[in-house]
Amino acid sequence: MAGIFIGVGCAGADRSTVDILAASSYTDVAEPLEALLEEELGVDVEFSFGSSGSFLEQIRQGAPASVVITADGATMQRISDAGLVDSVVSIATNELVIVAADTAVGRGIESVTDLSSSDVLVVLCASSAPCGAATDALLEGIGLDVDAASREPNVRATLTKVRLGEADAAIVYRTDALASPGLRSVAIAQADNVQVTSRAAAVVGREDAVRVLEVLTEPAAMAVLATAGFGSP
Amino acid sequence: MAAVPALLLGVPLCALMWRLPWSNLGAALSSDAATSALVLSLVTSLIATALCVVFGLPLAWALASGTGPTTRVVRALCLLPIVLPPVVGGVALLLAFGRQGIVGQWLADVGVQLPFTTAGVVLAQTFVALPFFVLSVEAALRQLDVEYADVAIVHGASPFRAFVSVTLPSVGPAVLAGAVLAWARALGEFGATVTFAGSLEGRTQTLPLAVYDLLERDPADAVVLSAVLVVVAVAVLVGLRDRWFGVFRSDVAT
Repeated sequence: MAGIFIGVGCAGADRSTVDILAASSYTDVAEPLEALLEEELGVDVEFSFGSSGSFLEQIRQGAPASVVITADGATMQRISDAGLVDSVVSIATNELVIVAADTAVGRGIESVTDLSSSDVLVVLCASSAPCGAATDALLEGIGLDVDAASREPNVRATLTKVRLGEADAAIVYRTDALASPGLRSVAIAQADNVQVTSRAAAVVGREDAVRVLEVLTEPAAMAVLATAGFGSP
Repeated sequence: MAAVPALLLGVPLCALMWRLPWSNLGAALSSDAATSALVLSLVTSLIATALCVVFGLPLAWALASGTGPTTRVVRALCLLPIVLPPVVGGVALLLAFGRQGIVGQWLADVGVQLPFTTAGVVLAQTFVALPFFVLSVEAALRQLDVEYADVAIVHGASPFRAFVSVTLPSVGPAVLAGAVLAWARALGEFGATVTFAGSLEGRTQTLPLAVYDLLERDPADAVVLSAVLVVVAVAVLVGLRDRWFGVFRSDVAT
């Protein structure tokens, strides 16, 4: 009887859980990243995803997260300014790319200027999401007016509309395009492109976050991120 | 014991009103995003309600007068959107009326596009609101004494005339209540709309979608728009209190 109790107690006490709130562009890389963290730290790691723009409010309202990963630096700056996180580190870079659907119109898209044609049904991320802010910066930089059919809440929702063939094209992160081999991706000229730097930070008062941040900046984690298409910061 | 569920329902709504930024109420409501969402929500939800009435009345009538297995299957179909998560409704609408959908690809051939359009918003709202109207009216029609309409027909009225002059007035309050219920549901629609119609200011971004978007950009403005929806909900409850809380008054519609 006592043996059973000890056995149960050990299984429960040894593995605590570290919750990570991550930008939706981390959806596909989460699994190998989770495996790496669990192996290095001996804890259970749980990822949950959303638009980085929603994290400030989520953490303020007490979301059970030890580590936050945002898609860009500006969003992390706002969370940091609000005094909710510390030990901010840059973990990866990403850039924008066009994904085109296998539709009559989609097949004809060769460059970002093609998106301004009224024949092309384009969806973009909402300005409140980092991918949308980066998209706005890109289009403003090259002085292009794109009449979007929808501004989706996050990059994944944006990608989904092209995957379903409902939209001809979208602007998403390079990593999202790589995660959808069925879609053709069209590169954006390096001079025009907007690079975002993804940041990770520890939620104030969460001691278990420090080790996670260390592992995330080690070469092994960077190799996992590189496989998914992220650049090194 | 009763206090716990009452608090569960009451506290969040009180918190919303408590946190209402009274000082910038006007500014929040007159911002571009807020006014276009208000107008869009009002227009689309009223069109959706009109569609619910136009298509829902014959359907409710057919359901109330039918008894066979077909009626039961159709009624189950009508109930489905009530118990279905709206986002699933949105996926179903995409698969049916999207560009690659089973109906949508034919529509696309004749140049009709529903996803990402205001018409798509109306379609999503009608999809989720129609059952509320149909069920409300069907229940009233079932309780109705059909003999009155029969008497009218015996005395020379056409079945249509009997329906319009005898049946309709007696189910009038139920039609009104069903329409208000359907309107409130259409006004609050989120999941099916964002999935099927997307979110674009002035075209498809209705009030609930604007609340969701504002929460990430300007939480205080999101609270103001949420409060608008709460006020509407309270108004609906007050308007329908006789049907739900009191003894049914037959003079409601007259």
